[in-house]
Amino acid sequence: MQHRRTIRFLLGNELRELTDLDPTLTVLDWLRGAERRLGTKEGCAEGDCGACTVVVGRLVDGVVRYEAINACIRFLATLDGCQLLTVEHLKRPDGTLHPVQQAMVDCHGSQCGFCTPGFVMSLYALYRAEVASPGGVPDEQRIDDALAGNLCRCTGYAPIVAAAQQLRDRTTDHIDEALPTVTRALAALADDAVVETGRDGRRFLAPATVDQLADLVLANPEATIVSGATDVGLWVTKHQKVLPTVIYTGRVAGLARITNRGDALELGAGVTFTAAKAALGGLHPDLDELLRRVGAEQVRNAGTIGGNIANGSPIGDTPPALIALGASLTLRRGTQRRTLPLQDYFLAYGKQDRQSGEFVESVTVPKLGQGDLFAAYKISKRFDQDISALCACFLVTLGDDGLITRARLAYGGMAGTPKRAAAAEAALLGRPWDATAARDAKAALAQDFTPLSDWRASAAYRLAVAGNLLLKFQAESAPGAPATRVLVQRAQAFKAGCDIASRGVCNA
Amino acid sequence: MKFDTPAGTNPIDQLTVVGKPTDRIDGPLKTTGTAPYAYERHDVVAGQAYGHVLGAAIAKGRITRMDMADAQAAPGVITIVTAETAGPLGKGKWNTAKLLGGPDIQHYHQAVALVVAETFEQARDAASLIKVDYQAEPGAYDLAAAREGATEAKGEPDTGAGDFHSAFAAAPVQLDATYTTPDQSHAMMEPHASIAAWNGDKLTLWTANQMIRWGVKDVAQTLNIPEENIRLISPYIGGGFGGKLFVRSDALLAALGAKAAGRPVKVALHRPLIVNNTTHRPATIQRIRIGATKDGKITAIGHESWSGDLPDGKPETAVQQTRLLYAGANRLTAMRLAVLDLPEGNAMRAPGEAPGLMALEIAMDEMAEKLGMDPIQFRILNDTQVDPEKPGRPFSQRQLIACLQQGAERFGWARRKPTPASVREGRWLVGMGVAAGFRNNLVTKSAARVRLDGQGVVTVETDMTDIGTGTYTIIAQTAAETMGVPLDKVVVRLGDSRFPVSCGSGGQWGANNATAGVYAACMTLRQAVAQKLGFNATEPRFADGQVSSGGHAVPLALAAKDGEMAAEDGIEYADLHKRYQQSTFAGHFVEVGVDAATGEVRLRRMLAVCAAGRILNPKSARSQVIGAMTMGAGAALMEELAVDKRRGFFVNHDLAGYEVPAHADIPHQEVIFLDEVDPISSPMKAKGVGELGICGVGAAVANAIYNATGVRVRDYPITLDKLLDHLPEIA
Ligand SMILES: Cc1cc2nc3c(=O)[nH]c(=O)nc-3n(C[C@H](O)[C@H](O)[C@H](O)COP(=O)(O)OP(=O)(O)OC[C@H]3O[C@@H](n4cnc5c(N)ncnc54)[C@H](O)[C@@H]3O)c2cc1C
Ligand code: FES
Ligand code: FES
Repeated sequence: MQHRRTIRFLLGNELRELTDLDPTLTVLDWLRGAERRLGTKEGCAEGDCGACTVVVGRLVDGVVRYEAINACIRFLATLDGCQLLTVEHLKRPDGTLHPVQQAMVDCHGSQCGFCTPGFVMSLYALYRAEVASPGGVPDEQRIDDALAGNLCRCTGYAPIVAAAQQLRDRTTDHIDEALPTVTRALAALADDAVVETGRDGRRFLAPATVDQLADLVLANPEATIVSGATDVGLWVTKHQKVLPTVIYTGRVAGLARITNRGDALELGAGVTFTAAKAALGGLHPDLDELLRRVGAEQVRNAGTIGGNIANGSPIGDTPPALIALGASLTLRRGTQRRTLPLQDYFLAYGKQDRQSGEFVESVTVPKLGQGDLFAAYKISKRFDQDISALCACFLVTLGDDGLITRARLAYGGMAGTPKRAAAAEAALLGRPWDATAARDAKAALAQDFTPLSDWRASAAYRLAVAGNLLLKFQAESAPGAPATRVLVQRAQAFKAGCDIASRGVCNA
Repeated sequence: MKFDTPAGTNPIDQLTVVGKPTDRIDGPLKTTGTAPYAYERHDVVAGQAYGHVLGAAIAKGRITRMDMADAQAAPGVITIVTAETAGPLGKGKWNTAKLLGGPDIQHYHQAVALVVAETFEQARDAASLIKVDYQAEPGAYDLAAAREGATEAKGEPDTGAGDFHSAFAAAPVQLDATYTTPDQSHAMMEPHASIAAWNGDKLTLWTANQMIRWGVKDVAQTLNIPEENIRLISPYIGGGFGGKLFVRSDALLAALGAKAAGRPVKVALHRPLIVNNTTHRPATIQRIRIGATKDGKITAIGHESWSGDLPDGKPETAVQQTRLLYAGANRLTAMRLAVLDLPEGNAMRAPGEAPGLMALEIAMDEMAEKLGMDPIQFRILNDTQVDPEKPGRPFSQRQLIACLQQGAERFGWARRKPTPASVREGRWLVGMGVAAGFRNNLVTKSAARVRLDGQGVVTVETDMTDIGTGTYTIIAQTAAETMGVPLDKVVVRLGDSRFPVSCGSGGQWGANNATAGVYAACMTLRQAVAQKLGFNATEPRFADGQVSSGGHAVPLALAAKDGEMAAEDGIEYADLHKRYQQSTFAGHFVEVGVDAATGEVRLRRMLAVCAAGRILNPKSARSQVIGAMTMGAGAALMEELAVDKRRGFFVNHDLAGYEVPAHADIPHQEVIFLDEVDPISSPMKAKGVGELGICGVGAAVANAIYNATGVRVRDYPITLDKLLDHLPEIA
């Protein structure tokens, strides 16, 4: 394996080549510390506030794709081959404000200003990706999504939403103008070498191919595999863990691939939530909504399906959905692969079926078929950017006679692992899918789970809602069921042109 | 300038700049990330070392031993400050607990050491190598348990009128209910941060502080050095909400660290430390009793509140509004303070009224229901135009009724179904709620210096701060209006203790007082300018960069052609605020949907109609109110510091655990300002508005949830699990 010991990326349009990097030096610390670029703020150092939002451009199939991420939990070395844009890059060369910045001024979207650079970058990412595309005027829902990872304690958000709405007439900016050059530069940076850096005996390794990854993981079984670092980043910034060896998967070609296998989708471990949302959302709208509510935009742009499974958390949001759909997991060790039902991967709290030297390579998700009813629910204290109190995903298959032939009821937040409700499933089989069946299944849940109380929710609430969601699922799957979802309800409220219609303050 | 009679017509009334929706002048700095916050001042002094604060791991007790050997030997470490090395320290007037603890520990995460090192990482690593042995003592952490032993707080006697107890007992309709509000965190986005540098015995602190003058005094008192030797600089502050009213451990430890290290030191409190190390809004238990006649006239109103704080601390003044908001001949308010060993309780946005109205305005809703009255009608019926405890004291302005009526019309209140749980849209139970908003207007003296240069540029200097409220802009508007120059001819410099002492930012007193101070200084400068330009007889007009009188006009800049002119003055209040009650009012309206299966609450619409004197800048005022409504929605639905009652600390001490509203939590919001000028408040005829928006909104949410579901939750926040058990069985 050829190793390259220089980390190369573009800061704006300027090539940076860095060596001997601390493997877990964050992008934010580098920007604010070494570079003294102080526009990007630190409000929490754990991905919660968005004050550190920067935009990263990556070359995907020859096109630079720009995404907002949290600089505070992203390791600098992972930017190899990327372009990094910070708030300092937005002002035009002649010193005038970028339209995104001007809109924030016009709409009074900044008060104390501490969150503002982060919002500006999230808005810029939205502007760049969507306002530019044909018919790409983001609606209010999309704007909320794009901004949900940025907390503001001063403005109350409405003025910022108004600023986003003001961006409708997009014109080319100086960053667009540089795009051809940037694309060429990024293409020139791509290579097949393993990128390596480190200091004080600690190492950062970024393979470029799956085989390299397999070899490195096998050779360094104690290494920490890092994908989006939306968990691992916090180990470093919050728990002050020192990671001796880091193997980064983000450069691995093919690991982020989504393959349509006819009756199933195969997602590489490196598929981000954002990419998965588009693919899985096509299987069922609830999957789109569920993924929309994983963290927020910055976390979804970085965090991966592989990481969400591998970390074994009982409150990860994708495992319940994937388990309900009957997904299988492929692990790889050296040249060997093995595949197991996803539910079997989770052995106990903190314990997964992953052997030394093994990594998660892909997950295969069967598509819904004839007679399949599906729903996914995420219950959290705060609607956006919050960890689930519980997550419930249901698949019920009805035979031609209308009787239930298959029931897969998977829950997160109800036990030490994501887990199916065996007793409740048994209560459904062979019966018509009606309110009585749902009620019986609800009653059976008490045999399946003894959830915990914590500050997200009490045990009693978890159990009650776990059952109520079955009733809700049943009611929703009845023909002509009314809209019951938060998003639908919001959309209706917006459309109904409520009395209080103006969220904007531009013309105050 | 002494303000002792109601303001007559004055230059502000021209309203050519004041009162106009104006973009914030610091907007470009903030949107480009170039506004410098305290921690970023690399430019101000060379050789800054990094300090990292270590917080106590117990809530109460003593440090028996600190082993610093490993930390001291760690790479890059320059010095370590502890209570032992720091020598005798005083305590600031505004601090309840010491900012540097040890050997006695007063609360969890009280600072016990500052490690100063060459880099941030080195300081942080070394701090984790300090070994501290504690002797923990049992403490009191549970307000409900400590309630019995609570006592009257110093300087906060019970108040009343008539005979509350007999009148309540005799009232045909009675309500006696108890409400609780939890501990809450300011959660401003900028963590507390300071850089300290000594030059001989002179200390400069670049810090994030709302009240420069208080800060100087407290630093002086704590370090036992003269005030003149201290300079505090705080031009940009990333939010405060009361959490930065007082100097905190970052400032003190930066100063001590810089002294010990012999070079400048910078310190930021890391996010997980902030909640327990700094201050919070204390939890309350509130008992409210209202007695009324059958036709809805309040005859007795009583409000008692229990809260806790460290020894020598202060109560949360949750009964404040009840002394003034509604009529009723027989009254009682009482506050009891329990000693708790939790972190220090102190002011957070609208201290007193914010939690007080969360309770009182549910009680009013409950009472209206008992009476079978519309809750707006009930409030209107019990309106008062005078201080009910001292009927000789009228309100300077009081448009609560108009706020409620206009709000009702705009919001479509008539469509509300009085019977709870009677509107369903699919699985959504839908309801509307209303609450009155109330916050006092506080007057306090405030000074400024105004300079005029040969280019006609007016520079205003005051130690006032802008915590995001828009102070830079309204001060510029005031100076532009008074001196008759366009906005771009005004330069505003804030947040430096070398500037004249202002009112500072807090208690929604900043806007009115600070601008009145600037107005006073401008008026003094006008006099000097008029004299200099030879306008001796008549009072000339200042407009369009000209000074004119009777057809004779001279460019303003001419007055400074041989050198800058400057004037310093301020506003001082006589007794108008004693003779008149000055308050701000609002009607808050909220519509919610509640998912019958899960108890999930979604806010659908929010409206606030405010009467708050002259609105100096509708754009910034509106943003202030919307921001406050959002914080109030957070208080109603999610914000709660969870207390570990065995170990005595707040468990969810980061932004992942302490949830504040995000975008999707906040629906369509609207703010309407009633036309109001209040000549009794100041020459600006303005009042505060920054806190009014949070006052009452929580109860409006609670009342809307009740209307939607029929479930009356009296314990905030109204989380899913408190609702679900009581929701109608779903079909
Ligand atoms: C602000 C914030 C909000 C969040 N909200 C949510 C939420 O709503 N729902 C939710 O489910 N999660 C949430 N998370 C958690 C996190 O985003 C997810 O767990 C995410 O899926 C982790 O993926 P990652 O790629 O970032 O993993 P990493 O942090 O890179 O890794 C996570 C773990 O997986 C291991 N790992 C990663 N890739 C592989 C692989 N290919 N093979 C073997 N092991 C591997 C790592 O070694 C590590 O143990 C949130 C996180 C943050 C910071
Ligand atoms: S600093 Fe808060 S998300 Fe990065
Ligand atoms: S403007 Fe202060 S946090 Fe957003």
